[in-house]
Amino acid sequence: MSRGNLILAGALWLVVAFLVIFPLSILVVESFKIAETGGWGIDNYLEFFKDTYYFKTFANTLLLSTLVLLTTTLFGVPLAYILARYRHRGKTIFTALILLPIVLPAFAGVFAFIIFFGKYGTLNLILMDIGLIDTPINFIYGLHGLVFIQSLHMLPFIVLGLSAGFTNIDPSFEEAAEVEGASGYRRFFTITLPLCTPSYLAGAVLVFLWPFTDWLTPLILGQVDFLPSISYLNIAYHFTDLHRKYMGIVAVVVSSIVCISLFLLARWWVERKKYTGLSKGTTSEGRVIEPSAPVKVGAYVYMVLVAILVLLIPIVLGLAAFSRRWVFEPLPTYWTLENFRLILLESPVLIKNSFLYSGIALIFGIAFGLPVAYLIVRTRVPGKDALDFVITLMLAFPGIAIGVSYLLAFWEGIPLAQYWIIMPLALFARRLPYFLRMAHSSYLQLDPSLEEASEVSGAGKLRTFFSISLPLLLKGVLVGVVMFFIMAFQEISTAVFLYKGGWETLPIGIYLNWHRGMEFGIAAAMAFLMIVITFILLLIISRIGGGVLKAAWGAEGK
Amino acid sequence: MAYIEIQNLYKRYKKVVAVNRIQLEVNKGEMLTLLGPSGCGKTTTLRCIAGLEKPEEGDIVIDGKPMLSQGFVPPSKRGIGMVFQNYAVWPHMKLFSNIAYGLKIQKVPKPEIRDRVHQVLELVGLSGLEARYPAQLSGGQQQRVALARALVSNPKVLLLDEPLSNLDAKLREGLRFEIKSLVRRMGITSVYVTHDQAEAMVISDRIVVMESGNVMQIGKPQDIYKRPANKFVADFIGTMNFIEAEVEEILKDSGAVTVRTGFSERMLCRRSDASVSLQPGEKVFASIRPEDVDVFAEPPQGRENMYKGTLAHKAYLGNFLYLFVSLDGTMIRVQVSHHMPEEEGQELYLVLHPEKCMILF
Ligand SMILES: Nc1ncnc2c1ncn2[C@@H]1O[C@H](COP(=O)(O)OP(=O)(O)O)[C@@H](O)[C@H]1O
Ligand SMILES: [Mg+2]
Repeated sequence: MSRGNLILAGALWLVVAFLVIFPLSILVVESFKIAETGGWGIDNYLEFFKDTYYFKTFANTLLLSTLVLLTTTLFGVPLAYILARYRHRGKTIFTALILLPIVLPAFAGVFAFIIFFGKYGTLNLILMDIGLIDTPINFIYGLHGLVFIQSLHMLPFIVLGLSAGFTNIDPSFEEAAEVEGASGYRRFFTITLPLCTPSYLAGAVLVFLWPFTDWLTPLILGQVDFLPSISYLNIAYHFTDLHRKYMGIVAVVVSSIVCISLFLLARWWVERKKYTGLSKGTTSEGRVIEPSAPVKVGAYVYMVLVAILVLLIPIVLGLAAFSRRWVFEPLPTYWTLENFRLILLESPVLIKNSFLYSGIALIFGIAFGLPVAYLIVRTRVPGKDALDFVITLMLAFPGIAIGVSYLLAFWEGIPLAQYWIIMPLALFARRLPYFLRMAHSSYLQLDPSLEEASEVSGAGKLRTFFSISLPLLLKGVLVGVVMFFIMAFQEISTAVFLYKGGWETLPIGIYLNWHRGMEFGIAAAMAFLMIVITFILLLIISRIGGGVLKAAWGAEGK
Repeated sequence: MAYIEIQNLYKRYKKVVAVNRIQLEVNKGEMLTLLGPSGCGKTTTLRCIAGLEKPEEGDIVIDGKPMLSQGFVPPSKRGIGMVFQNYAVWPHMKLFSNIAYGLKIQKVPKPEIRDRVHQVLELVGLSGLEARYPAQLSGGQQQRVALARALVSNPKVLLLDEPLSNLDAKLREGLRFEIKSLVRRMGITSVYVTHDQAEAMVISDRIVVMESGNVMQIGKPQDIYKRPANKFVADFIGTMNFIEAEVEEILKDSGAVTVRTGFSERMLCRRSDASVSLQPGEKVFASIRPEDVDVFAEPPQGRENMYKGTLAHKAYLGNFLYLFVSLDGTMIRVQVSHHMPEEEGQELYLVLHPEKCMILF
């Protein structure tokens, strides 16, 4: 093992220690501070679980997670099955539409659905106009709306995991069951579905963790009794009330612990259950089947309904973006470019910040992710698995935890938070694992003998990396790069704790516009702008990486 | 008596014809092997019998019941047992559940299921492992689980698709005999697919040699070895010297054929079914197996088909020796069991027994 590798490993560990371990430890330390006495102790935790309010918040969040997981599973299983197994036209377009929420900012969905399903939203107004109802129906304000919006946002994770499972499991497992006499549902429930649990779980755990991360959706829907929302309110709004601040931190830590435990549990389970079947010499037309006509019609109706819900998001936001004063009308009547004028001319700095911070985060990501991938795949440096593990854990940490811990850790002592560089640093730390997974898998596909040939020809390690490895890795990594950029571009839960006047990004701008003046028009126009930018980026990926689907899939690193 | 009849079976994938109107019968209690190179349509034929593929044309009759012509009978209703090439042992179920799966579907009472699973596990030599998961088993053991699962419900027909191809050579040889004796004892009519000719020779009552979706020859192992129907079969099974030749004369009384070759004006070959229709001047292959050629250091007296050649090189294969002898540029492979003192380049005399020389094309 070369000294160069050891030095590299040391340097990367330092980065991880400084940007991940240090701030998160500070977070934990702060949660033990007692406001009243200024001392230390577990009093905050005791209070958290004894206080009926905090405990209710905790229970609510668990309930919400359970409901969201149930809903996405219930709707996702048939959807994944249809996409993976039925022969039908427009498979690509339906797949892309159903997976779209992955790349849409979560808050885009909330705004769109408020406009469409709100009390005096389009749907209620139409229903009242045609006389079906007298008073508006409450479609989304409440737990049911929260479940609906979060489920739609997370549905792709279930669909992706399961449809990959349905496609990839060895056909002979099901054929063997068929020969043994099991037909139809029995085969599906005893063989197919259990064999897909590992790929299902990988998505399911992300779904379950989302309500522990998403503070904004509950807030916008007027539901604050959930862990991430209460943490946000306590920390961002009651910074001076030390007691509330510490309770907020405790809530963040508790969320993080829940998330990480579940994440590790799922990982352990998946590892244990990884069904590596030999897959050789089977003859079959894949598993694509021609469903009977009624089933096919049903499948289409079902896919179209889901696709419509997804499409509502960009359509409604688009309508709102190009109009003003869209209230109490099913559709806007006053069309204008005023929103865009305001954004582009009066506050172009938001756009500039968004690109700048995401861009810098991306450069950090590449500069850090590639060497780590190299260490993990190509060397036997001690502790490389631990490095991989720590970084992967970041997948499970709620964005809030990163934002808050950066705020606590880099305020005094190391006052990084007083400089704008904290923004890209936080974005980088939050999305690190995504890029790493991507670089990792492209490295695995790179035949080491190509690099060895270069070294035999006399090139040093560094030169080999830049002249051989990097060019060959680029295509695979590029998809990861774009996905990383999209995610950093949309990041709000970390950034919202750290921004100062002049550092606002587009997502923060959207939030502030909603929050301050209910300026839906401008918020919608910003969200619409983000969707457009995201789309352009996705188009680039699909040119280089073979389809939106693959890009989104790869980024989850499964 | 034919237990399975395959009538005019035709199956294609888009443009590829996988099985080209083949005709086969499997007798009751017989072990029939489909043998042929990779891609010749063995698996497809087997899957058609199982009902996992629907052929475009033809019918399959099992025990007098048509599987296709009177409505498609799905695999689950055919009463067959099948061993897949990759075993397809369900990884999420313990051994016991894997084997009991079919019995549960048939609603066999619980105590009986337990007894039968135990019996079949004993039969395949896996007693005591019923609580294991497949991942905790070796390849050979998984193979036995697949076999046990296929046998436990006493199927009318057993189908095996290259069941040993994923195992290492030593294990493979042992399991060949085990499978054969097990299936023979249970008297199940079975169809066995393999591309390994040695395996087919050992295990089969009869062999069907296939190529490009067509049946080349059907027969007992020794018949196929001794009397291959054509050059393809002769080449695929065992080793054969193919000598380019031209028909000279068909002898009226014996039916034997004389041919002209690159090294001789006259070579005598035995009569065969094909010799009847031969015409003088026709291009054929005079063929002989390496073990049927005799070698002499001095010219033997009064032997037919005796030719002088030079030893080009020797190859030592442990239990025997291959000599490559050049007869005027035609290379003949000769198998001898004893040591030969001759050096490369030395002269030798070969006798190609006329009774062992056959005309093939
Ligand atoms: N699902 C399939 N789709 C297209 N072609 C296939 C499929 N299965 C088999 N084939 C083709 O049919 C031919 C016979 O295949 P197979 O029966 O698997 O051969 P074997 O088992 O003898 O190796 C081959 O040319 C193969 O490529
Ligand atoms: Mg095959």
